[in-house]
Amino acid sequence: MAAGRVVVLVFVRTDCPISNRYAPTVQRLSAAHAGKAVFWLVYPSKAESAESIRKHEREFGYKLPALRDPQRVLVKESQVQITPEVAVFDAARRLVYHGRIDNLYEDIGRARSAATTHELEDAIAATLSGRTLSAGTAPAVGCYISDLE
Amino acid sequence: MTRASQALSGFIALLALASVGFAARHATSRRQANPQPATAAREVTFNRDVAPIVFHNCALCHHPGEAGPFPLLTYADVKSHARQIAFVTDKRIMPPWLPDPGELKFTDELRLSDEQIATLQAWVDQGMLEGSAADLPAKPTFSAGWQLGKPDVIVRAEKPYVLPASGSDSYWNFVFRNPVNRSHWLKAIEIRPGDKRLVHHANILVDREESGRRLEKEPGAGFGGMELIIESEAFDPDSHFLFWKPGSPPYVEPDGMALRLEKNTDLVLNTHFQPSGKPEPIQPTLGLYFTDKPATLHPILIQLDNDRLLDIPPGEKNFLVSDDFTLPVDATILAIYPHAHYLGKDLLALATFPDGTKKTLIHISHWDLNWQAVYRYEDPPLLPKGTTISMRFTYDNSADNVRNPNQPPKRVVAGNRASDEMAHLWLQVLPSESADSSVDPRREIQEALALHHIQNNPDDFEAHYNLAALLQMRGNLSGALLQFSEAVRIRPEDPIANNALGAVLLASGQVEGAIPHLKTALASRPDYFDAHYNLGNALASKGDFGGALTHFRAAVRLNPQDANAEANLGSALAETGNLKEARLHFERALQIDPKNELARENLEQLNRETQGHPN
Repeated sequence: MAAGRVVVLVFVRTDCPISNRYAPTVQRLSAAHAGKAVFWLVYPSKAESAESIRKHEREFGYKLPALRDPQRVLVKESQVQITPEVAVFDAARRLVYHGRIDNLYEDIGRARSAATTHELEDAIAATLSGRTLSAGTAPAVGCYISDLE
Repeated sequence: MTRASQALSGFIALLALASVGFAARHATSRRQANPQPATAAREVTFNRDVAPIVFHNCALCHHPGEAGPFPLLTYADVKSHARQIAFVTDKRIMPPWLPDPGELKFTDELRLSDEQIATLQAWVDQGMLEGSAADLPAKPTFSAGWQLGKPDVIVRAEKPYVLPASGSDSYWNFVFRNPVNRSHWLKAIEIRPGDKRLVHHANILVDREESGRRLEKEPGAGFGGMELIIESEAFDPDSHFLFWKPGSPPYVEPDGMALRLEKNTDLVLNTHFQPSGKPEPIQPTLGLYFTDKPATLHPILIQLDNDRLLDIPPGEKNFLVSDDFTLPVDATILAIYPHAHYLGKDLLALATFPDGTKKTLIHISHWDLNWQAVYRYEDPPLLPKGTTISMRFTYDNSADNVRNPNQPPKRVVAGNRASDEMAHLWLQVLPSESADSSVDPRREIQEALALHHIQNNPDDFEAHYNLAALLQMRGNLSGALLQFSEAVRIRPEDPIANNALGAVLLASGQVEGAIPHLKTALASRPDYFDAHYNLGNALASKGDFGGALTHFRAAVRLNPQDANAEANLGSALAETGNLKEARLHFERALQIDPKNELARENLEQLNRETQGHPN
């Protein structure tokens, strides 16, 4: 397998409560995969300024590089529709997974006390070991990106 | 699995840009709202059709400073969550309102009609038109301050609780110590739970026995826990729900009703939070509103439950817990509060009238603990004597219940933790005045309830204790003795039950029987004023004045404002020959209460005895 690191794009929104609730999980997963996977936050809203994004990152303890994607280029490439939703690219920059981080939320307003499946971790692990992902994409639960300006 | 059809070219370069400049088309929503042909025919605009629905039903919480995570006050606000709104209203996730529509209506109902939901769907389907500015209704205005004006007393939690950034739901209790220094009639409490976006609900319990304080690791720190049991030696003179949920305005008691709040009473605020993703310090405030008008109407809380039957095997999808209580008097139901935890599925309360006809009091066919609430009837129904109130709650302890805190599921029984279950139905009822003035309808209900709970569970400590206290009030000492003994049998170390049993034994002349119970009470709670006082009396009545002195001194130290304790201390001192100090305590008793007979008589006697013999 070609040398290179896995890239994880995490699509977030400043005013989406489910997206925000995942901040500690995202930060923990990025730290756990340091050196193996690079995490980026992506803000698809046209309305967010660099300053408001920095403020959001500070508030929620994110220590990740952030991108604005007002033209939805990354959204399209990643085939995501929701915040929070993640897209995993392998070293060859092929999209290998997009969907939920884990199954904490079954639906809006229906949360488990703790997640029992961990799709993002599984996708990273599979990609790092060169395995093909067996499961299909798991739809993310949260706020529609298409609602954003 | 999802695989991109082509490699993402120039990926790294693209990422290095702060923003990416391509014309992108809108992705289509995965969850398309169902088109509603009925309204789709007509053009739906925000200003004319959507704004009235949103302003009236959503903005209450969705405005800055309130519980909603984002405001919904303008076209731009609503448009930036439009598909979300269509989705959550279609599934009736929002606005949060649990009761199914029924014959009895509740106040402040937050339930959209099918037409309103269809309008929201049609608006999204038609591309979220803004419409003519002339159609836009006035934006709702909200005041950020106290909703009922400046409170008579404002109390703030001494120390904040810091909600962790992540994890499952948190339950925390704040103790507000002695918010009033004299008795007041309370008309309303505005609960400001802190950041309202984090609080799912909050409940105030009136704590006359410092039960909450004893659970704090350090004073003012508060304590964790989902359900509170506040011990009470006296019955609540009035029973009121003091409940807060997002979007609910502070509740003002109706004419004739008020809650008696005495000095030396704590208020304990029980709160339920959900983590937000960042650590959040939470320091609630309460605003108390008083009235000069004493209560003339005295409601009472009826609790149905059947904790003994709550033993749900893993995998069980439809576990039924029921309880039935027959009203011994006529009563009007003012409010209802069904409560279960995460396995609760379908919660039903029914009334069966003496003629056999039935009425649904509340039915929640999709229970969700997060949105639990107290429901008040718009037109409170009168239930005649002999009406049976029934609780029918079903539970889902299978893995299909995503809220099941145990994955894989395991056996769940009744308990106070989030991973335990509860089946409780509280009703606030107003008993009708009895034509026979010798009958106190509130006591009739309380006694019937205690007997009912003992029948359900012979080991129900509180039921035995309550029944004993009622019998004692009626002057039935032998009945009280029996029931307090049962309470002590169930909880042999309990200080309150042991003290009460000791006091009744003492009152019925059984001094030797009383002493061990009073000693047990003090072993469990060394700073228990009542038990020191009673034990002092018991020892004094058998001539052990030295022993009595120790306990009266302790009583006076614990409560320096009790005239009887001072007078009894004086008597014990006089009996042991310490007349000089005895005089001081008689005088102190009369200072506290100039009408204290015991102190006055003893002081007079002391004066007679010491005439000519100054010491």
